[in-house]
Amino acid sequence: MSIRRTLLSSGLLIVALAWAASAFANPNEACLKCHGDKAIISKGGGHLFIDPVTFAGTTHELIGCTSCHDAISSQHPHDGIRPPRAQCRECHAVIQREYAQSLHGGNASCTDCHNPHMVRQPMAVSGDFINAQCNKCHDKAKTVTTHSKWLTQADLHVDAMPCITCHTSSKNYVIIMYIEKRQANKPHSDFREATYAELAEAAGGKDISQLIDVNGDGKIEMSELRRFNINAKYKDMRLWGMMMPEQVTHSYQILDNRWDCTFCHSTGTKAMQTSFVAFPGKDGRYTRMQVEKGAVLDLLFGTPDFYMMGTTRSTALNIIGALILVGGMMMPIGHGSLRYLTRKNRKEH
Amino acid sequence: MSTAESSHHEEQMIYLTPTPVRIWHWLNALGIVTLCITGIQIRFPDYVNLFGTYKAAISLHNTAGIIVSISYFLWLFYYLFIAGTLIKLYVPTMDDIKRGIIRQALFYFFHFFRGGPNPHHSMPDDKFNPMQKFAYLMIMLVLLPLVIVSGILIMNVAPLREVIMLVGGIKILVSAHFLIACCFFAFLFVHVYLATMGHTPLAHFKPMWTGWEKIEGHGH
Repeated sequence: MSIRRTLLSSGLLIVALAWAASAFANPNEACLKCHGDKAIISKGGGHLFIDPVTFAGTTHELIGCTSCHDAISSQHPHDGIRPPRAQCRECHAVIQREYAQSLHGGNASCTDCHNPHMVRQPMAVSGDFINAQCNKCHDKAKTVTTHSKWLTQADLHVDAMPCITCHTSSKNYVIIMYIEKRQANKPHSDFREATYAELAEAAGGKDISQLIDVNGDGKIEMSELRRFNINAKYKDMRLWGMMMPEQVTHSYQILDNRWDCTFCHSTGTKAMQTSFVAFPGKDGRYTRMQVEKGAVLDLLFGTPDFYMMGTTRSTALNIIGALILVGGMMMPIGHGSLRYLTRKNRKEH
Repeated sequence: MSTAESSHHEEQMIYLTPTPVRIWHWLNALGIVTLCITGIQIRFPDYVNLFGTYKAAISLHNTAGIIVSISYFLWLFYYLFIAGTLIKLYVPTMDDIKRGIIRQALFYFFHFFRGGPNPHHSMPDDKFNPMQKFAYLMIMLVLLPLVIVSGILIMNVAPLREVIMLVGGIKILVSAHFLIACCFFAFLFVHVYLATMGHTPLAHFKPMWTGWEKIEGHGH
């Protein structure tokens, strides 16, 4: 009997340990069992649904649901208590202070822009994604109209930069290129950011980065960039460059120096040397791959669709232009000199 | 053709340049000089700041570009449909191509220095020498339309993106615009210099202001 009791106790202990071990392996599983099922939307609203796919891989997923939702009791949801909202500042106090002092501080909470169950590192999202968050409140058409009052080609600027490039401060800026694609079988449809699935299909079984990084060495040479841009096979794709802050901050403001176009449009050939191509991952997160320095300054095919007036001018083209001017000046200088030296001949006639 | 005789000299005054052409010429001249200078600031803002702000240079460049474009189309309309002399004045004849260009080049680069006469005499229905015809044909019917079209595209990048992609992208477009602009800048030097090669240095400038040019018996 005692043996049977011992065996039974041991069995129960193993089951308990296995359950504990599985719970430890994925501490969010119990929460996602209900919150990862769309059925919960009909019970309490859309905010209760957490998409397990987009949640996976976020920093918040790694630290676990209960790190933020620490007031949840073991009887949840049968305890009848509505859990309090998570407090971002418990972890993000520095950002929260910076944000509170910004122009945005009193107008939107953290979650108005960042869905904590989807949030990714700034480098892992695209410029379009960042602007999409802004567009939730700031209608894009209205933004273009208001900026057009002082900004030349405001529509182009809004497409080529995330709002935070101008409305937050950063020490440096980099050019990030995203692969954009037309809709399949619609040769004249608008370009939009290509998804992982679309690029995987185009890559034909290879890693999608090898669409451009053909030799797979983890960095993109100028020749690889040119080859991608002139490859007829990829004519429904293009690289869309955006100027992004190197360091993302939450200091939303209207900076005086941004009224001056030369803040971006004057730094000459030394600037804009640093660029990356951002590839989307299966989970939607972007990974940046460094491009050989000076790609955006390449004369024609490095970045055929990216040009910043006054900034990304090509030195080679400047030299050709100067030679044309010198050619024009040779007429008055060369011919004029001979004309002066032979002036007596014409007087005789 | 209007003519007037001078009683004291064996010279003839001919009405060479009609008023609409003169207005167009000086409007164009002002526009192209403005485009060249503002263009320098737009391309090299870290070295050149002549107009206070980058935006001022862009606005002035765009305005001058629109004025030159409208002026060009008026010029084309005038020569095609009102004067009807576009082909006669600007398109080189077979004789111009076979002999005229060489004859004129020999004059400019050889006979001129020896005191030889200009083989071409400007008349209202034959204003340009064969080299001028060829140069103006290229400028007015190739380079100017190209710089205008590329300029219009660069001024409207977002709405005309598809057209820009057809020509190979914004970089090819901007490069073409820049190089053609350099050609116009170079042309200004050549044009102003050649204009001083009349029988007096100002002889060719006056008719572009008054319309009347003095023709001497031995040419100019």
